[in-house]
Amino acid sequence: MRKALASLPFDDIRHLQAHQFLVDEAYLLDAQAYDVWLDTLTDDIRYVMPVRVTTARGAGFDTAPGMAHFDEDKYSLSQRVARFATGHAWTEDPPSRLRHFITNVRTFECDADTELLVESAELLFRNRGDVNESALVSCGREDLLRRCEDRWKLARRNIFVDESVLRMQNLAVFL
Amino acid sequence: MHREVFDNVRRGMIPAHIYNDAELFALEKERLFARAWTFVAHESEIPQDGDYVVRRVLGDSFIIARDSKGDVRAMFNMCLHRGMQICRAEMGNASNFRCPYHGWSYRNDGRLTGLPFHREAYGGDDGLPRSAQTLLPAPSFASYNGLLFVSLDPAAEPLEDFLGDFRFYLDFYTKQSAGGLELRGPQRWRIKANWKIGAENFAGDMYHTPHTHASIVDIGLFREPKAQKRKDGATYWAHRGGGTTYKLPPGGFDERMRYVGYPDEMIARMKDVWSTRQQRMVGEDGFMISAATCFPNLSFVHNWPKLPGSDRVLPFISIRLWQPISENETEVCSWFAVDSAAPPQYKQDSYQAYLMCFGSTGMFEQDDVENWVSLTTTAGGSMARRLLLNSRMGLLSDDRAVVEALPAESFHGPGRAQVGYNEHNQRALLAMWADYLQ
Repeated sequence: MRKALASLPFDDIRHLQAHQFLVDEAYLLDAQAYDVWLDTLTDDIRYVMPVRVTTARGAGFDTAPGMAHFDEDKYSLSQRVARFATGHAWTEDPPSRLRHFITNVRTFECDADTELLVESAELLFRNRGDVNESALVSCGREDLLRRCEDRWKLARRNIFVDESVLRMQNLAVFL
Repeated sequence: MHREVFDNVRRGMIPAHIYNDAELFALEKERLFARAWTFVAHESEIPQDGDYVVRRVLGDSFIIARDSKGDVRAMFNMCLHRGMQICRAEMGNASNFRCPYHGWSYRNDGRLTGLPFHREAYGGDDGLPRSAQTLLPAPSFASYNGLLFVSLDPAAEPLEDFLGDFRFYLDFYTKQSAGGLELRGPQRWRIKANWKIGAENFAGDMYHTPHTHASIVDIGLFREPKAQKRKDGATYWAHRGGGTTYKLPPGGFDERMRYVGYPDEMIARMKDVWSTRQQRMVGEDGFMISAATCFPNLSFVHNWPKLPGSDRVLPFISIRLWQPISENETEVCSWFAVDSAAPPQYKQDSYQAYLMCFGSTGMFEQDDVENWVSLTTTAGGSMARRLLLNSRMGLLSDDRAVVEALPAESFHGPGRAQVGYNEHNQRALLAMWADYLQ
């Protein structure tokens, strides 16, 4: 689906729009405005975060076969969001303070004019309570944006976390 | 030393500091984890000759490999020469492991096969006979239903004796057909919580389900954990393990297995491999396994959430290890497990159900861990040394049980079982912990 090896110039309007999409999205995730966030996903969204494993160079794989942290569609993401609204999701009450840092954004043309492939690096800072140690998750993301009427929506996201063993008590957050 | 701690534990009054105490953790390492059998892997994780995974028993790294003849071995992951880790990957396939330091190499059965400059540096076999050298094997290594266990004690009692009557219940999770389980994962993550808390929770804490997991019922993912239903279940303890069950609506074995979502072909295979007694626990007594813990730190969960957009439910199984890192940190290793003979669509649906409920992103799990981290943090202070946590649920002040044990005709499983909320299993687990440490 990716058309060319080279990323779009940084002054290309499509790159600017893709970059803005990710930064706007990071704001929604920081604010835990998940209802609004769900609306930025296409109905056929696939949201996947494989489990990374350490393998020998040349092994040909670096994810655990058949296992992921997230392997989601719109329904399962909606259920996760609905849970936060129940008033009984103790893990996020009191809520975490979140900051999604997004950088290294590169945009690529796709075969279809209505799609863009966007790569980014992400660092999530998460802090809970007053004296708990804060936690970080670093990952690379590969996104497919699709033009839906007058705006871009997220249709695919592959999250490549940079740790085999996560140093965060859970992933009751999105990346 | 610590006599008072252990005495209090045995009467169900738990000194709060045992959940965050460096001295006790040192004792656990020396007296418990150096002796007990601990789970390291499942045979299905290394299906082909040459496949290996690297797993730890506390600080000790082992290569769990299927050698080129198909034999499964556990070898201490340390070069005989200068002590490097021979294998620094987590998994893969290899006929040989070569040390990155000086290039000593070992066959995947542990035999030393290559020493650079063997003749010049050692005078050949006269100086260092290669044939006599192997990576240190795990002191004790055994399997049950494909679950591979290591004990650091060379004189450990046989694994089957260690597990004892708990095997009856293990079969429900790990042997649903002649081919047994296949595992995927594990997801691994570290939590700032003491390892015993999760082990206790899975062993018997039916009492937390309606409150901790209220949100799961609120969103309609799960039909079962309503308070009323949870307390109709029974808890059981049999030798080295115990767990919780749900009481199912009336019906026979087939109907009740269907009620939790098993397709008929899987039910037929269960009937081939489960004993009459095992089938009667479901078919006649009406109890369906839920969470369980095998002492010291291996837990299981079997649940049946609703499928997307329907009232149909589907079961999943997860196996997890509470790997102690320190007195206040645990690495959770959580596997998805499914019967190897299950239909492909069932495996896929069951996997999705697991991801929604348990593991690093699971919605049940998220709220559990939040509680356990908080407990551990609070247990590290000095006031916690003055507090005895009341873990006597199910006992009257004269130690008689609030609810009588189920008679054998109402509960066909071995060990002791009783209906309703209680902390018999948590006490049994911690009493065993005290016995090992004292």
